[in-house]
Amino acid sequence: MDNIKIERTERTPEVNFDFSRNTFVLRGESYPENVPKFYGDPIKQLQEHLNNLEDGQVSFDFDLVYFNSTSAKVIINLFETLDAAAERGLDVTINWHYDADDDNSAELGEEFGEDLESANFKLCPRD
Amino acid sequence: MSLELFEDEEQIIESSRAILASNTLNDAAREPFAALLKSFEKLFKTTRRMMRLSDRNEHNLMEVSKSLDEKNAMLERLSHQLSKYLSPQVYATIFSGQRQVTLNTERKKLTVFFSDIKDFTATTDDMEPEDLTFLINDYLTEMTRIALKYGATIDKYIGDAILIFFGDPESRGVQEDAQACVRMALEMQRHMADLRTKWSEMGYARPFHMRVGINTGYCNVGNFGSNERMDYTIIGGEVNLAARLEGVSDADGITLSYETYALVKDLVVVERGEPLTVKGIHRQITPYKVVDILADVENSGRFFRQEKDGMRLFLDFDRLTEQSRRLEAIETMKRALERLNCRVDGGEIPSP
Repeated sequence: MDNIKIERTERTPEVNFDFSRNTFVLRGESYPENVPKFYGDPIKQLQEHLNNLEDGQVSFDFDLVYFNSTSAKVIINLFETLDAAAERGLDVTINWHYDADDDNSAELGEEFGEDLESANFKLCPRD
Repeated sequence: MSLELFEDEEQIIESSRAILASNTLNDAAREPFAALLKSFEKLFKTTRRMMRLSDRNEHNLMEVSKSLDEKNAMLERLSHQLSKYLSPQVYATIFSGQRQVTLNTERKKLTVFFSDIKDFTATTDDMEPEDLTFLINDYLTEMTRIALKYGATIDKYIGDAILIFFGDPESRGVQEDAQACVRMALEMQRHMADLRTKWSEMGYARPFHMRVGINTGYCNVGNFGSNERMDYTIIGGEVNLAARLEGVSDADGITLSYETYALVKDLVVVERGEPLTVKGIHRQITPYKVVDILADVENSGRFFRQEKDGMRLFLDFDRLTEQSRRLEAIETMKRALERLNCRVDGGEIPSP
């Protein structure tokens, strides 16, 4: 599967999905005009890739400064997808990056992380 | 490819509808199951609506926030430009909210500085407007820089004249304010000598000579004018007196009133002038012309400056820290003394 690299814009985050190394990154701001269209291809491919993986390590970095409500739903769905992959036996780690002085973002990450049953979750404050 | 954000929820609804349609539920379960599905469908629809609404609101908020940022940046630029029309201290007190922009004045003891260029009209009569603009701006820029260094409140420029005061909005005490004013005036006059050298080198045949008058006394300070257009300024007889003292001052000179002299007598050497009657002042005024700054005051600083007719001496002690440089300076001054002594004694002038 070809890696996916989408540069960030004012409204959309950088998408860096490295399928050969199983490292996945969303970085920047997320409030696309059309959220399902923007995330459609990368997430479908990610789901397909994870379904085909039998074992190994997977890391997903959420490094988002701002995201709107629909993007939040995408993130929740991604958490569920990753948790399901971990339940199947993959070693999945989710890294939640946030500004050290941004309590809201830290709290939101914690809330998202609470629902995980199998994947590892790490809060990563930015300096 | 588009992502179906609520795929799971829609699948649950579809399969639940299929169960209801298949009549596999018994009568007791059918009714509450149908009610539960209806409620879930309603909740699901509401969630989608709320999410769209939330996105729209967030988008609007972002737009408002951006627009506010732009307006703030514009206001900041404007206020920065407007600040050039005000004295920095006055600007700071207004923008920090300490001072109300209303027609209010108060009485304070201030030291008032008034200066102008001697024979300005005659000096600049045949000058091209561009040259005049350069000279006046260069002069005012340099004088302003020195004034701000000493914490002065620059009231206004009136053509070639400058009105400055000490003691409002900030005061370090009446005596300290007066001393700061006189120190500032001395530095201005010293710097004028440097500026004249520069201007001469640039080809200006008749460079400016400044006259200064300084007085200390009670003035009315505050906003004068109308609610539509006001000036933060000072008025009163003591301001007039500073202007009159400037009028009787020599070119390159600083003339003090007795009130100011009494506050700075440890700082300067003065020459007491003959009492004068000046326009608009009932009492006779004794001018005190500053002839020198006291050596111990001068020696305490970084620089040593003396300027007399036919002599200019300037030492920057911070640049004479190396022994070799100090010796070189001493040698130079010795040679100058030898030549000077020969002149005084009427002897031959030794070659350099």
